Amino acid sequence: MVSNFGLFVVRRAINAAVTLVLLIALVFVLLHVLVPSPVAMARIITGNPRATPAILASIIKANDLDAPLYIQFYNYLIGILHGNFGTDTLYHVPELQEMQAYLPVTLELVVVGQIIGVLIGLYTGAIAAANRNRAPDYGMKALYLTTWSAPIFLVGFIMQLVVAYWLNLLPATGVVDPTLIPPPAVTGAPIIDALLAQNWVYFWSAVQHLILPAFAIAVIGFGLVTRLGRASMIDALDRDYVKLAYMKGLSKGKVVWGTAFRNAMIPIITLVALLFAFSVGGAVIIEDVFAYHGMGFFTVNAIYNDDYTAVLAFTVITGIAVIVANFVADILYAVADPRVRLT
Amino acid sequence: MDVENLAITYRTVYGTLKALNGVNLTVGEGESVALVGESGCGKSTLGLAIVRLLPLNASYSAGRLMLDGKDVATMSNREVVRMRGSTAFMIFQDPLNTLNPVKRVDVQMLEAIHSRARHTNAPFSEGEARKEAVKKLEDVRMPDPESIITRYPHQLSGGQIQRVVIAMGLVMRPKLMIADEPTSALDVTVQAQVLKLMRELQREYRMSIIFITHDINVAYSICDRMVVMYAGEVVEMGEAGHITRNALHPYSQALIASVPRTTKDQGRLTSISGSAANMLSPPSGCRFHPRCPYAMEICSSKSPPETEKDGALVRCFLHGGNTS
Amino acid sequence: MARRPIRSSGQVALKTGSAAAETKDVKKGASFYLEYIRKDKPAFVGLLIIAAFMLFAIFEAIMQELANVIGQPDLGWMLLPTNPLALTFDLKLEPPSLADFPANILGTNFQGQSILSRVLYATPHDAAASVIVVGSAIVVGMFLGTAAGYYGGWVDEIMMRLTDAFLALPALVLAIAVAILIGGGFTALLYALMIIWWPTYARFFRAQALTLRNKAYVEASKLSGSNSFAILVKHIIPNSVDPIIAYATLDMGTVILTYAALAFLGIGVSSDYPEWGAESAAGLQFFPLQWWYSIMPGVVIAIVVVAFTLVGDRLQDLIGGRTTY
Repeated sequence: MVSNFGLFVVRRAINAAVTLVLLIALVFVLLHVLVPSPVAMARIITGNPRATPAILASIIKANDLDAPLYIQFYNYLIGILHGNFGTDTLYHVPELQEMQAYLPVTLELVVVGQIIGVLIGLYTGAIAAANRNRAPDYGMKALYLTTWSAPIFLVGFIMQLVVAYWLNLLPATGVVDPTLIPPPAVTGAPIIDALLAQNWVYFWSAVQHLILPAFAIAVIGFGLVTRLGRASMIDALDRDYVKLAYMKGLSKGKVVWGTAFRNAMIPIITLVALLFAFSVGGAVIIEDVFAYHGMGFFTVNAIYNDDYTAVLAFTVITGIAVIVANFVADILYAVADPRVRLT
Repeated sequence: MDVENLAITYRTVYGTLKALNGVNLTVGEGESVALVGESGCGKSTLGLAIVRLLPLNASYSAGRLMLDGKDVATMSNREVVRMRGSTAFMIFQDPLNTLNPVKRVDVQMLEAIHSRARHTNAPFSEGEARKEAVKKLEDVRMPDPESIITRYPHQLSGGQIQRVVIAMGLVMRPKLMIADEPTSALDVTVQAQVLKLMRELQREYRMSIIFITHDINVAYSICDRMVVMYAGEVVEMGEAGHITRNALHPYSQALIASVPRTTKDQGRLTSISGSAANMLSPPSGCRFHPRCPYAMEICSSKSPPETEKDGALVRCFLHGGNTS
Repeated sequence: MARRPIRSSGQVALKTGSAAAETKDVKKGASFYLEYIRKDKPAFVGLLIIAAFMLFAIFEAIMQELANVIGQPDLGWMLLPTNPLALTFDLKLEPPSLADFPANILGTNFQGQSILSRVLYATPHDAAASVIVVGSAIVVGMFLGTAAGYYGGWVDEIMMRLTDAFLALPALVLAIAVAILIGGGFTALLYALMIIWWPTYARFFRAQALTLRNKAYVEASKLSGSNSFAILVKHIIPNSVDPIIAYATLDMGTVILTYAALAFLGIGVSSDYPEWGAESAAGLQFFPLQWWYSIMPGVVIAIVVVAFTLVGDRLQDLIGGRTTY
């Protein structure tokens, strides 16, 4: 039994690694398809549209841009595995250095946002399922319909407008009160660092600033989770093993939450992994709306400044994060559903 | 258990569906009764109605369903919870879905034992419960119960799953066991084993059994009494052997006749013409009349009452009730 | 003991070859879908909104093209309440009001232009994007996915891995990367979206091909000597298309959302075309006092996407089962 699971983990890990390599290959291919010649590539790297041919030539030399593609890909791949995502076009420093201040901030935001979204979604989904085709069900449907259809920036704006500006309940922008002294950066994520350092003032300010953007991120996924949760729950409640559970004399609560819900949750895990990708994309917009200085903010700046390397680096990092998230989700799925461990 | 003039209706998007109409049935202690009929005739509905597991859009629109002296339709929720399992227990058709796929067999059996202990205010100890679970698995003739009990449902075969479910039922010590086509999804040899098991258990534990099936042969082999249902009504009821030898209602006759026999050359297989009654707007009068080879004029206008004949109960104008 | 289940038709069914029984899966026509949508009021409203949206986009697009070709810019906003590109500084930043109906129901921007007019002016781009991107994704996905599913083997493996890689990245992130590499402009943005949109459909068609290739009529076809290509075209593809119609409808809404997000970030935007997302972004500097500038374009987007979602949801109920591919 144990070895079964272990094998499963290994298989999934290999899968993830292969997909990762393919992903990097994809980015690489896209890059080279869209920027066909070494000269064009060099132009991108300098970031200077008026670079002289001499400069371009030296860049081509320095980066092996005229080498055969597979060699370039190999270099690229190895580079990434060592944390080298290229050199920033604007600031001429390694990308990773540029990004590392922002990464944990966004991770914190996305993870918290997702957890909130999933929890609320599961709850509303279960309620909708239990009250199928009655008022609460329709209410939930209207809610997730509107939240799903609204563009992310609209959600952000409305929350900002109503809660921060009109009601003055929470701060509108920023990660934390700028006048506060930050705690020593252990993880780089403001809330965690503040917790570790027991810097409660900073902690509280960071939490306050996190709530609105996190809820905006939650809104992104909440609709889908509700929808799938409802459908999955309805499906589970119809099954014979639920009837059997009733036959064993278990109370309704135990049957609904202990048996049906436990089974209904399983497909949600896959959905959550999918949502993670979605949420990271959404974070870009949310961070812009809330001036929340994370990876999204970093990327938006990169776009405005035509900093191609930064954008590509962001893409690759996001891909890595998503693949890791999917891997974790796969493992969790196997923990939850014993049937899967054989594959 | 005593069913009096029971009617069950479903509210659906297409209209009101009368799933059961005027059903009368009595099952005494230790009796085994088979509910026979084609798909959609209401036999499963009756089974679910007894344990109050009907879907939300169903209602007990008429009559009474007395279980152990109490009307199931009007029971409070607490009474229902207590009733399920200790008074009546139901097992289902599809082995794949009957057990909770994410929990091990021992966990599920212990759930049942724990639940029973709670309802009867008896002490519960996990060690004792475990032993009892293993013992019950032995009772259902499960080979190697110690290892089975540590497995997950997807690791068991269909026959094993049904045995586990029966064992779970036995744990609850019900007075009435309802089996809804428990062997239809199993292959023939396993089916025979499970049936044999159920017969033996019934004698050992003195349970009443209601066996729901579409297969007359299975019904005959396991039950003393047979109840033939069509389109939500009981059309014939009587002693099993009697009915198979000498069916009175045209539908019962057709059912029995359409079973191929391996012994003699029957020629072409007979079948029942027409298709199943539409439960949203059932045929007027006797619900079987559109397909009945002996249909008379009165059959399309009036619904035949239940009449006794030769020790059986029939709902057919051919055998009485035709007072014009 | 011979067992014969008695079917509800009362017939005792003997096991004949199933090839004779099924010749083709039943296909449903457009009128059937229409009737089905009509029955659900919200979905029907959604359908009306979509129709209005598309029709208006088409007319407006024609007018704008004419304006360009003939050289008469007026034509571009003949259908609109006011001129969306004119500068009338005296009407700066009015909140939504019923004055001058319908020009001001969404308010005006900092140059005094009616936001409603600007939003309507940009409609053709979004309509075009949704149709073109989803359409191309279906076509590309159909070829690649069906081939992968039908032929199996290493073709299939490669396809699965490839789509895995694509799907690992969030659509938005990948779109940003591709768009920024291609360059600016509306067509570039369309290309970017087309490049990244097909994998889901490829997966879907692959799944369909896998199921369908075992069906009896395909076997029959093979036996009668049709080559693979004919089988694909005659049998597999027509029977795959029906279920994706629901998903495609939903997806058109998603395209609009992604497109708006990209426009919000300034990608693919040109200064004289008031893209919906870009309008919202432009309003950022006036937030929160003149909140309507940022919020209103978003509301319009939401309404259009809700329409697509309602119809798509309804169609999906018809297909039965939940969103899978």
